Amino acid sequence: MSDITRDTLMAYVDGQLDPARCAEVEAFLATNPDAAAEVALLQRQADAIRTLYAPAGAEPVPPRLSVNRLARAQDQRRSRFWTQAAAAVVLLSLGLGGGWLIRGNTDTPAIADRLIADAVSAHTVYVLEKRHAVEVGGDEQEHLSSWLSNRLQTTLAMPDLTASGLTFLGGRLLPAADVPGGKAAQLMYEDTNGERLTLYITPRPAADAPRTEVATLGLDTALFWADDVLTCTITAPYSAEKLQGIAGSVFSQLNPGTPNYRT
Amino acid sequence: MADILHEIEDAVPALRRYARALTRDIDRADDLVQDCLERAISRRRLFRPSGPVRPWLFTILVNLYRNSLRGQRRRGETLDLSSIPEPAVPAAQPGHLALAELARAIDTLPPEQKEALLLVTLEGLAYKEAADILAIPLGTLMSRLGRARATLKTLTGAPAEPHLRTVK
Repeated sequence: MSDITRDTLMAYVDGQLDPARCAEVEAFLATNPDAAAEVALLQRQADAIRTLYAPAGAEPVPPRLSVNRLARAQDQRRSRFWTQAAAAVVLLSLGLGGGWLIRGNTDTPAIADRLIADAVSAHTVYVLEKRHAVEVGGDEQEHLSSWLSNRLQTTLAMPDLTASGLTFLGGRLLPAADVPGGKAAQLMYEDTNGERLTLYITPRPAADAPRTEVATLGLDTALFWADDVLTCTITAPYSAEKLQGIAGSVFSQLNPGTPNYRT
Repeated sequence: MADILHEIEDAVPALRRYARALTRDIDRADDLVQDCLERAISRRRLFRPSGPVRPWLFTILVNLYRNSLRGQRRRGETLDLSSIPEPAVPAAQPGHLALAELARAIDTLPPEQKEALLLVTLEGLAYKEAADILAIPLGTLMSRLGRARATLKTLTGAPAEPHLRTVK
């Protein structure tokens, strides 16, 4: 019986012991009045706590805590956001279309613009998805990494952005007409406010692409860069400065073989 | 998808009870619960835990409570008049006095001890479950429980009336 400690007595009072152990404790208490008094005291404390606060759980729940009502309110907010986002996409295509027309005889390769447009479209479509935001969840990180690396024919690590307050949700494979191989990977992250950030990653196109570009598109900012192997566009409803900060961290993790993030 | 909303709804009374005991303030408690529900509802498809919903909700609530304490410390405490201890007068109802004394004693506990004590005594959770919700090892949970109870014992004295449980 000497193995019955204060913790055992506490666990007994809290109902944490199995029946056999309970019986042992009860036998011990029968011959140890001090321990029995201690147990009685702990039981009185617990009873008093329940007497104080248990009634709060029996009160009728006020309407503002109705789960259905809160869920409906969220769905409405999301559909309003969707309308605004659709408007932003229209504006964006006007902007890009205009740019395309006047691009005329300038030599600036439009590939970066097209990749940014693809990235932002994919961002806009999938961040609004609740159930199918990603194809493979962030919990299958290894699988995701090897799958997307295979499809993009390069080595892709899944960047960890927890230092920037972003949780990894997962990723998906997307078509990308403008790059060799025709495939892009989208990785999605979410911050504590539920705002989402996506990375749109493609192999580097054959055409000479600019190193970096930043574009602000309605609610979202997109930051594009290319290195010798990849292009990556980060899209999120953040300021350009904040995205730059995150970009450094993304770059250094995404393609560990490549030395530096060049601006 | 409807079932998880139901499961969340079923947990609301327990969340309110726990939040009320943590804050001893009905409005603050319901604000915390509302924040907690909104987060849970908006993440239910992505962060749906594989296990039961209730511990997940308690985890969200505890984190919101801790954040609210940090905010409060920055702004300075607000004092609720009803929380100021009444002068001790000989009372006709020793049971009620003892309960009020216990409530004040619980308020003086460090938040991490209060969180642990209330999960186990009020919500009746298994130690393992409570430790997971608070993101602490089992041993830490038990030592917090032990310290909380020792403090309460000192602050309330060993209550003389053994029939607290009959007082409603």
